[in-house]
Amino acid sequence: MILILSLVIAVIFGSGAFLILQRDLFRVVVGIVLISNAANLFIISAGLTRGEPPIYPLPEGAPVADPLVQAMALTAIVISSSVAALLLSLVYRLYVAHDSVDIEDVSAAEAREAEALERGENPEREEEPRESPADVELREDTR
Amino acid sequence: MTGAALLPLSVLVPWVLAASLALADGRRPLVAWVSVVGIGAGFACVMGLTFAVLRGGPVEMVAGGWPEGVGITLRADALGVTFAAVSVGVILASLVYEVLGGVRSRTFPALVAFMAAGLTGLFLTGDAFNFYVFFEISMTAAYALTGYREKDYQVRAAFIFAVINLLGSVIFLIAVAALYHVTGTLDMEVMARRAAGVQPSSIISIAVAVLVAFSLKLGLFPFHFWLPAVYVGSHPPVAAILSGALANIGGYGLLRFGADVLPRELELGTAAVLVLGTASIIYGALQAISRQETAEVLAYSAIGQAGYILVAIGIGGPVAYAAAVVYAVVNSLNKALLFLAAGGRGRLVGAAFAVGAFSVVGVPPAAGFVAKLAMFRASVEAGSVALTALIFLGGALSFVYAFQIYQRIYWTPEDGKRKAGPLPARILVGLLAVLILAAGLWPEPLLVLGEAAAGVLEGR
Repeated sequence: MILILSLVIAVIFGSGAFLILQRDLFRVVVGIVLISNAANLFIISAGLTRGEPPIYPLPEGAPVADPLVQAMALTAIVISSSVAALLLSLVYRLYVAHDSVDIEDVSAAEAREAEALERGENPEREEEPRESPADVELREDTR
Repeated sequence: MTGAALLPLSVLVPWVLAASLALADGRRPLVAWVSVVGIGAGFACVMGLTFAVLRGGPVEMVAGGWPEGVGITLRADALGVTFAAVSVGVILASLVYEVLGGVRSRTFPALVAFMAAGLTGLFLTGDAFNFYVFFEISMTAAYALTGYREKDYQVRAAFIFAVINLLGSVIFLIAVAALYHVTGTLDMEVMARRAAGVQPSSIISIAVAVLVAFSLKLGLFPFHFWLPAVYVGSHPPVAAILSGALANIGGYGLLRFGADVLPRELELGTAAVLVLGTASIIYGALQAISRQETAEVLAYSAIGQAGYILVAIGIGGPVAYAAAVVYAVVNSLNKALLFLAAGGRGRLVGAAFAVGAFSVVGVPPAAGFVAKLAMFRASVEAGSVALTALIFLGGALSFVYAFQIYQRIYWTPEDGKRKAGPLPARILVGLLAVLILAAGLWPEPLLVLGEAAAGVLEGR
């Protein structure tokens, strides 16, 4: 059982790590989700015991399953899902601005912007009013 | 008020504040000032707790009225309250700076309050898994704060920051689960006692995971690559919070889990820790000298300064741990001052920046001198000429980059392009500089804090 579990965790962690190294930002998010779930499995396997359900009143004499790992895994699942939502919203924000989720496209667009800044088209980068995503799209179209 | 009453209050006040601020529009001045008052109240609680702990020893309580050993423990000892006080203080100063300049996002005050809530909880908890939860809360607030102005490069920086640090968090989570598996408890005190009875060979891999996780947070040499991108994109108060408050997690985590819970494993890894620290000091300083942009120089400087903390932890013993704590505290204040000052212009801000730069270098009477002196004492105590020379070399290199920035920002003719910022914000930066000078002129409180914190680590 321990061997199977550790193999499963290793495979999930490995595929997550592989996805993080991709250029597609969406795949990076999926990779993070996979890695978090590998950690959740690890928590469960850290307290793997066989026994009665740990519900009060406890049965006399019989071994009781470890409830703590379940509570920890539940908390970790909540945290990882909320962070995944935050990451997805960041990706969406970049997608709206650049019409692409490829990190190279995003970097290239940024390099263009930086060049424009250096040419002095827009010296007041700091003081520039906040742009709505729609404005950015418009500018991309006219370029 | 007694410590027993202040401990839950310090954790609770920023929580309630954050939850209620999340519903309000932070751009309104009233809401922004309410957040300042709330964080100020939280800071007052933490300060009160600090005095209570220094006078009467550690304060402990079990949350929810559960019997001891079942419920989650909140434990305030000198090490925890020191880091909590500094972090919340830096957050308060940065928040006031931003509010004086005008908050531009509705979520800013709430996010800052969440960060303060997460950090106080993290420094005051006695439970390893609870530590992870608070850690995630403050990190999540940090990811959102990095993208504060919603510029594209900031959003991209936030994405990189989030992905790398999530990896670090997962590694830490795995280490906590593994520690639970080996020791059968999550309470750090009990964990330390039981880990002392286990063969180090079975825990050493866990200790490595902990070191990697916190090195990622602290931005130490081989784990630093995400750090410059994040700081360059950030707004000055956000950078001050990230560098002055959030980075404390790394130093505190290494001290707590390294020196407190796994001291024998730390001793085994002394050579590795010292090498990593040395590499960070030299690499950070050299990169900082070669950079042009202020934020980038300060980011690399942060890598170098983190190296000193690691070197002190590597040396070990009461003197070195005290030096690590003092260095971490002074470094937070320096970084907060430098990032806030770099965002403004004018004579007062320029003078404040110079004070911060002197403090980074370690010139008296700035507080940095006290920290460097503590480091020298630790290295002399260790009897290592190489380490003493390294600390001197690091200081000399930091002199170069600190005054390169000063020259670049404040010695250029005023072209009126950059506005100086509102007067109250400039006065706030000046006050921070005065605080650093005062801490250097009267170092007694700082040294007492450092020794008390080191006493916690040696007490086991």
